[in-house]
Amino acid sequence: MNKKIIAILVVLAIAIVGYVGYKNLIVPAGTEGEKEVTIQVINEKENVDKTFTYNTDHKYLIELLEEKQDELGVSFQEYDFGKMVIGMLNYVADDSNNEYFHIYVNGEDATTGPGEIPLNNEDVYTFELKTY
Amino acid sequence: MKAKDVVLIGILSASITAGKLALSFIPNVEIVTLLFIVYTVVFGYRRTLLVSIVFTTTEIFIYGFATWLLGYYIIWPTLILLTEIMNKRFKSEYAYAILGGIFGYIFGLFFAVIESFFYGIAYGWAYWIRGLLFDLLHGTSNFIIVLLLFKPVKNLLEKLKKSYYAV
Repeated sequence: MNKKIIAILVVLAIAIVGYVGYKNLIVPAGTEGEKEVTIQVINEKENVDKTFTYNTDHKYLIELLEEKQDELGVSFQEYDFGKMVIGMLNYVADDSNNEYFHIYVNGEDATTGPGEIPLNNEDVYTFELKTY
Repeated sequence: MKAKDVVLIGILSASITAGKLALSFIPNVEIVTLLFIVYTVVFGYRRTLLVSIVFTTTEIFIYGFATWLLGYYIIWPTLILLTEIMNKRFKSEYAYAILGGIFGYIFGLFFAVIESFFYGIAYGWAYWIRGLLFDLLHGTSNFIIVLLLFKPVKNLLEKLKKSYYAV
């Protein structure tokens, strides 16, 4: 077989291993089953600080946000890398003023987007309007 | 610098911008890496460094200023200098394909470091983790593109270079 084809197949195989590794090791796994989680929305500009508690079977935060989209007034924007939350409680972050919704999980900065944040029992997910 | 060099740098910069825009609909699949590598091998690193500055400045005109564009002023010249170092030792397209592949795999990490200077380590970490799959695609596609296209593009440009400077 042509050497170049072999080299390409080897690199593709490495890429597939990397993809599987990313999905299984880096993206935290969500767990099924009922959990009680809290969503907090802080928007100092609008003088808003509200909490919502839900019992859910969803595995990831994005699924809960989609289910409760009307109640939480969530706005999403689709990017190549997934969905991003750009609005909460019907307030859409003003990009021209460098606003965005920062996500905290139990008070710690989230390192991934809502599509990769697993829902765990008694966790608190905070969306705070901030500027960058 | 001769007038022919100035014209050449303009044409090469325009071709890289056009190449980037032509493939911009596919995330992280690009021929910019291939072109910078081939230009360095064919036209030398000095001219290609100037091409990279023109290319990055053009990006600012197209996309507006953003922090990631600062990284462009560093990362493309780094690729060019690495290619120049390799050019003295390696002639095989496999060596350049490996360079292009590794370059693509660490592309996101480099920008995560730059972003973390502006927005903090947590942001840089999130930026890198979220982009890992894109880096995987970037490195893999770079390897394949450079492996398949390095020789034909280099041979074509060497012919064009001879005729361009012969006149």
